Amino acid sequence: MKPWKALPALMLSCAATAVSAQSVEVSYLTHWSPETVALLEAAAEKYQETHPDVSISVRAVPFGDLLTTIRSSAGASAPTISGIYDLWLPELVRDDLVAPAPDGVASEVRAAWPDGIAAAAQVGGTLYGIPNEVNVYALNYNKALFAEAGIDAAPATWEEFTAAAAALTDAGAGRQGFGLINSWSAGVVHPFASLLVSNGGALITDGKPTLDSAEAGETFALYKELVSNGWSVPAMGTADANTTGPFLDNFVSGKTGMIIMANWWESALKAGMGDDFANVATAPIPVGPSGEVASSISYTWQTVVSATASAEEQAAAWDFLAWLNGEGTGEGDASAMSDILMSMGILPSRSSDVAANQDVLGRDFLAGYVSVLENARAFPIVLGGQEFTEALQQTLESLEYGQITAAQAQEAAQADALSILERAAR
Amino acid sequence: MPRARLSPILMIGPAAGFIGVFILVPMVLTIWLSFHQWSTQTPFSTAEWVGLRNYEDIFSALSVGRDFKTALRNTAIYTALSVAILLPLSVLLGLLVYQRAVAGGQFLRTVLFASYMVPMIAVALVWSKLYAPTEGPLNQILGWVGIGPQTWLAAPDTALYSLVLLNVWQQIGYFTVLAVAGLTQIPNTLYEAARIDGAGPVQSFFGVTLPLMRRTLLFSAVIAIINAVQVFEPVALITQGGPAGSTNVLTFHIRRVGIERSQGGLGSAMAVTLMLALIVTVFAIFAANRRGGRE
Repeated sequence: MKPWKALPALMLSCAATAVSAQSVEVSYLTHWSPETVALLEAAAEKYQETHPDVSISVRAVPFGDLLTTIRSSAGASAPTISGIYDLWLPELVRDDLVAPAPDGVASEVRAAWPDGIAAAAQVGGTLYGIPNEVNVYALNYNKALFAEAGIDAAPATWEEFTAAAAALTDAGAGRQGFGLINSWSAGVVHPFASLLVSNGGALITDGKPTLDSAEAGETFALYKELVSNGWSVPAMGTADANTTGPFLDNFVSGKTGMIIMANWWESALKAGMGDDFANVATAPIPVGPSGEVASSISYTWQTVVSATASAEEQAAAWDFLAWLNGEGTGEGDASAMSDILMSMGILPSRSSDVAANQDVLGRDFLAGYVSVLENARAFPIVLGGQEFTEALQQTLESLEYGQITAAQAQEAAQADALSILERAAR
Repeated sequence: MPRARLSPILMIGPAAGFIGVFILVPMVLTIWLSFHQWSTQTPFSTAEWVGLRNYEDIFSALSVGRDFKTALRNTAIYTALSVAILLPLSVLLGLLVYQRAVAGGQFLRTVLFASYMVPMIAVALVWSKLYAPTEGPLNQILGWVGIGPQTWLAAPDTALYSLVLLNVWQQIGYFTVLAVAGLTQIPNTLYEAARIDGAGPVQSFFGVTLPLMRRTLLFSAVIAIINAVQVFEPVALITQGGPAGSTNVLTFHIRRVGIERSQGGLGSAMAVTLMLALIVTVFAIFAANRRGGRE
């Protein structure tokens, strides 16, 4: 046979080999920044060195578009793996968009993660995701501004908190004592919920909204007091789709004395403040008049696998996730995922990752968050949770901008929550 | 069938089929879904008939109704203001750049149209920085002339109007080109006749230019309304509907309800209401135009 006659067969053979070598394609959707995506891609490359039959691609969208992207690309074009906020899980499960974890993965998660965190990845006793990051809210304050205002220590009670906000406020210099956030549902609701639980209250108890409690009433009144006295200026708290914007700029530039935020924004503060980041300190949420102990709100993120992916893709995705979150795949005994999270100042949730990162978690900024984690309550994960959060956001923003009173805000928030949870249960 | 009758059917058939599949079917489906409770990510077979409940909900006093009515009102204000500013301004700028004898007219037209060609993502990024309340250039410029800082996108009282301003900046070039196209259709002889009859520039404008631009302005108004009602990108990219829902417009809200929350029935009811409002508005404009033409 002439050599050229064998060429098509040779090409077909090469193509077939190439296809089988890259036979499973796994896509990973996240909202992380380009720097963090690069770390995830590096981890994926490391995994592919030992798994040449799997090809992993990473795609990032802004946080504000993440849920829409997951929902709108459901079907054949859905990302195989998605990083999700735990509040979204019940509805994704209801709509059959996410696949249950295989038994091996499920038992590993239940054994290697704290119970509360593993519970956030389950619906009806079935585990759907591998938790990775845990975020908790605490009070961040600018030590230099505190010293300038003659304040010696972080406020421990609401009384001290409002006194500090008043002392820090300098309207002439465009400085507010305490920064509220708006135009971003979690940024609005989580700080409110943190103050509420630190006042002994709760958003939802046993599936029923409890925003009509006296503790909630005091929290709404605190917001009104902060704004009406000019200690908080709502116009300085706008956030954009990337969860950055003026609220961050104002804290970074020393125009906000205190703010309640989650640990994940450490990297944004470092990038914006440079050496001045040393001025940022972390303290527990001040205790309200009806509260007994400093408390806070926590929430987790997890990775889920698309139910519409093929069985082969699902198997490859779970295997990659098990490796990514597995003990010893990163530095020392830590997982590769924990290395990525720690680069952003995010607390890992796997027990062995917490142990492996004790030194790093002990640094000033993060230690303040780790200390409040013990008394933190998980943000309620219920059907309709996202709509509930957005409705409460609207009410709080209306209160902040003086469109309604604290009493009206409380009444509207409870009525909205009741109707939303009732509709979601239909 | 006679060949003479078959021919038009063959000619019209492909286009009619295309319109039917890609326009009529989705419209009918949306109307049908608006009477159902349906999660967007589940098959149509899971849709459950709920009659008019979705319509009752979106006009109720509950949060779902309150948010929808706010979005409807915001969209109406945004649209009305955009059209009210764009049309007169485009005619004014059209008259300026239409002067063929003036050097640089072509250049000015190009500059005006350039804003329309800039991608919205770039416009959103730039304008969000321009509007920054504490360190934004707009407030700095106002400070030079003794005007205090404005809240722009950061307060409910000003956020929607700031988006209207952004929209006018981006669209004005397009509507100016339309106005220039309308001006070129007016014969010079009419202006000469008006001048001989003793008409000044103002009388010529109201007696000749404006009446003869009626068709152009009608077209511009309809396009401006449709564009404004469909506003989405600046809201999604800059304000996310806030603060306090002040920039939550219908397209953004329908996306949030129908896709993010997966409430397909409610989202469809909102979309149908928006479609009806748009149809009524456009018909009213055509009716007003016809009545004006007869008078």
